[in-house]
Amino acid sequence: MRGELNMERGKTILEVRNLKTHFRVGTEDISIVRGVSFSARQGETLAIVGESGCGKSVTVHSVMRLLPKNGRLAGGEALFFDGDTPRELHRLEPFGKEMRAIRGRKIGMIFQDPMASLNPVYRVGDQVAENLLQHFKLTKAEAKEKIIEMFASLGIPDPGRRILDYPHQFSGGMKQRVMIAIAMICNPDLLIADEPTTALDVTIQAQIMELMERLKREQRKAVILITHNMGLVAETADEVAVMYMGRIVERGRVERIFHNPSHPYTKALLRSVPVLGHGRAERLETIRGSTPSPAECVTGCEFANRCDFATTKCKTGTIPAYEVEGGHLARCVLFEGAKELPNE
Amino acid sequence: MLYYFMRKLLAIIPMLLLISVIVFVAIQFSPIDPVNYLASPDMAANSQNLQALRQLLGLNDPIYVRYIRWLGNMLHGNFGYSIVDGSSIAKLIAMKLPATFEISFAALIISTIFGIGIGILSAIKQNTFIDYLGRIIGVVGISIPQFFFGIILIQFFSIKLGWLPVGGRIELGYKTWWDHVPNMILPSLALGISMTAALLRYARNSMLDIMSKDFIKTARSKGIPEWKVYIKHAFRNALGPTLVILAFRLPILIGGSVMIEAVFSWPGIGAIILQGVSSSDYPVIMMTTLMIAAAMLIASFLVDLIMALLDPRIRFER
Amino acid sequence: MAEQKKVKSSLALRSWKKLVRNKLAMIGVVVAIAMILASIFANIVTPYSPTKIDFANMTKAPSLQHLMGTDKMGRDVLAQVLYGGRVSIYVSVVGAVLGSVVGMILGGLAGWFGGKVDSILVRTSEIFLTFPNMMLVLILVAFVGQGVNNLIFIFFITGWMTPFRMVRNEFLSLREETYVEVCKAFGISDVSIMFRHILPNTISPIVVATTINIANYILQEAGLSFLGLGVPVTIPTWGNIMNAATSIDVIRNYWWLWLFPGLVISVFVLAVNFAGDGLRDVLDPKQ
Repeated sequence: MRGELNMERGKTILEVRNLKTHFRVGTEDISIVRGVSFSARQGETLAIVGESGCGKSVTVHSVMRLLPKNGRLAGGEALFFDGDTPRELHRLEPFGKEMRAIRGRKIGMIFQDPMASLNPVYRVGDQVAENLLQHFKLTKAEAKEKIIEMFASLGIPDPGRRILDYPHQFSGGMKQRVMIAIAMICNPDLLIADEPTTALDVTIQAQIMELMERLKREQRKAVILITHNMGLVAETADEVAVMYMGRIVERGRVERIFHNPSHPYTKALLRSVPVLGHGRAERLETIRGSTPSPAECVTGCEFANRCDFATTKCKTGTIPAYEVEGGHLARCVLFEGAKELPNE
Repeated sequence: MLYYFMRKLLAIIPMLLLISVIVFVAIQFSPIDPVNYLASPDMAANSQNLQALRQLLGLNDPIYVRYIRWLGNMLHGNFGYSIVDGSSIAKLIAMKLPATFEISFAALIISTIFGIGIGILSAIKQNTFIDYLGRIIGVVGISIPQFFFGIILIQFFSIKLGWLPVGGRIELGYKTWWDHVPNMILPSLALGISMTAALLRYARNSMLDIMSKDFIKTARSKGIPEWKVYIKHAFRNALGPTLVILAFRLPILIGGSVMIEAVFSWPGIGAIILQGVSSSDYPVIMMTTLMIAAAMLIASFLVDLIMALLDPRIRFER
Repeated sequence: MAEQKKVKSSLALRSWKKLVRNKLAMIGVVVAIAMILASIFANIVTPYSPTKIDFANMTKAPSLQHLMGTDKMGRDVLAQVLYGGRVSIYVSVVGAVLGSVVGMILGGLAGWFGGKVDSILVRTSEIFLTFPNMMLVLILVAFVGQGVNNLIFIFFITGWMTPFRMVRNEFLSLREETYVEVCKAFGISDVSIMFRHILPNTISPIVVATTINIANYILQEAGLSFLGLGVPVTIPTWGNIMNAATSIDVIRNYWWLWLFPGLVISVFVLAVNFAGDGLRDVLDPKQ
């Protein structure tokens, strides 16, 4: 059952500890990801949720070593468990042989805008084949067979003909299925989906999410879902990490987060989205103040200037993560007194 | 795809006709006697009665009939005669065109390879030596007058170093076509400098633009080697816009041959036009220009062809 | 309204600041202006006259008395360069500005009215563009003759196409915008919409196009005069001075006759190009 503390929880595929990422803007180094820790397990979906600019996308790009030229990993570790061998992703050359052998083959990634994510001048079949043939020695015919199979299983009709088409001949939802095909063709253990449905219609959104859910369940994949949509989180996530300004402020099983939101930011977030069952008279609330820029937050809790519960203790020093209950943590002074979790 | 090409090819014809009409009208309006232009000096000298000659040439017919006849003559290879020395314009063009074509083609090849090549390297290895070199060539190449660059080349390579001949195309003792290749080098370089610079700039900008697109990230996420990312994915997409600039600047390249041929004493079409202008030889000027306009239309059609081959989205345009 | 004005002037201030920070562009602007001023005030900068023949001092190499040497008739080359700059720059700037004005008007008409008017104008511009520019210019020189004003006429007749296309595109895309329909619904006249709403958007690309044209015309005038087909040889221009360098003898033996004018032209065009690049960076709405 989803979320239940199951002794049979899947094994950990990816473990991230205290990851830090800096971006160089002009002459300054700006801290975007400020020490983030989480793990992804087989058969589970970890949702990393937060508003635009909180660093959730940069986090997974850091793990995949796909940061832009002005970004760099500044600390922490990212351990990928390939079989039983832990691979130190943070130590590998981003475009060296080892990392490239993992990207595409062991970790697949799909991105936000399917319109822009496919190369317009190549047939989609060739673009999927590129991933497959990079990592496996197959004949063109064998590859073609596998790709047609994949297209069919992803619900792309008439796959034999469609693999010869160009991206502009597909609708948005179909393009995203092609992206999923590219990401899954090598049967990776981990799938990272960076806002996969944000650019799609609501009905298509549902289809794509269901597709990913099926892949996760049937093939025991680990899935990391980046999103700002709490509705999606409620529907598909097993574990949730809430991010604000480069830190994880709360993390736990999805039911605990929704039934017992502990960090003031999480509470505010949940109050600001429409939820089925909301009373008619209840209003949606906005979070007061506006998102600060990363350069402004130097010390203390990043949420302090917008928080209804802020005290002087919140404005200085680093706030540690506290255990709210088993498997549920929150980074907030309100929980001072509870067990500190220094490695989070 | 065939549809697309037929459409493009057929579109050239009305343009050519329109230009031919303009050329014809321009000749009519110029202050010359058509007899001098339509009849060879021998014919004019030998005919007893100029009136009869005019009748023969149909000069008393209405203008549209004369246009059709002129067009027909052209298609049969009769371009009329120079009013300055009476030589057949068709012969003149046939003799001189290959020379211009030689250096223009060489200039095009050189500028395409170096311009696009350095432009792409410049984009991949930003802020390194090759990037600075590329950016310098890119901006100096479009600022320096082509003929000045030609003179500098002559001064340096022919006079100071003595490596290459100073001018002219064929000298005594040249037997095969290959003998005069050294003569081609400097004029082609000078002719191509501004195209090289333009292609370099556009290729560089195009590459930089493409490299920031999402599908490059997708390519990388498959774990393919970086060189494949640059060539297969980025360059392939950057080529299109760069070729647009190439097609747009082809007329400028040909136009430069007027000056380069003067500097290097190269016996080509440019020299002919130059002589034509200084001596007000309107038929020569107009006919050579018509030929060049036709060549430009065909060249831009060829570039359209290549672009459609490169970008499937264009082929599917209805 | 006051708010609008405030926003506009802060945008102008930011653009100005951005331009100033672009070192290459500023160097370009400063150098270009310096050269223009030197030409305008040529009579103050140099004591020599560009046309005074002095057979006693024929083809002297550069020295302290004649910083750029003298030519075959003993005329001081530096003086020729300075006075020549007046004509070259005048012809190019006026030609470019007129070309932009003509292009703007035609582009506006084509973009706004569409239909037959548009087709004819576009077809015309395509025909002009098919011919190599140099050859069009030569044809016109053959028909119209040489001379400073003739050259200006030839330049803007052959240079209106690019501003035309820019303005036309702007009109075509903005004409469909909702706010134009709103204006029409309020009864604002076509002319008013064209001038007060759409045209201001075209100013930035036009300014950039004009700068590029100025640079091109300097090069073209130089080339034409070099061949003896531009401004008559009696009036010194940057290209005219180099007219002597068509002979190998001159290239070989009298390097100052072609190197200095050539460098001056190149530096000026380089400066204008840097300034133009900087302007383009600042005025590009995409940023």
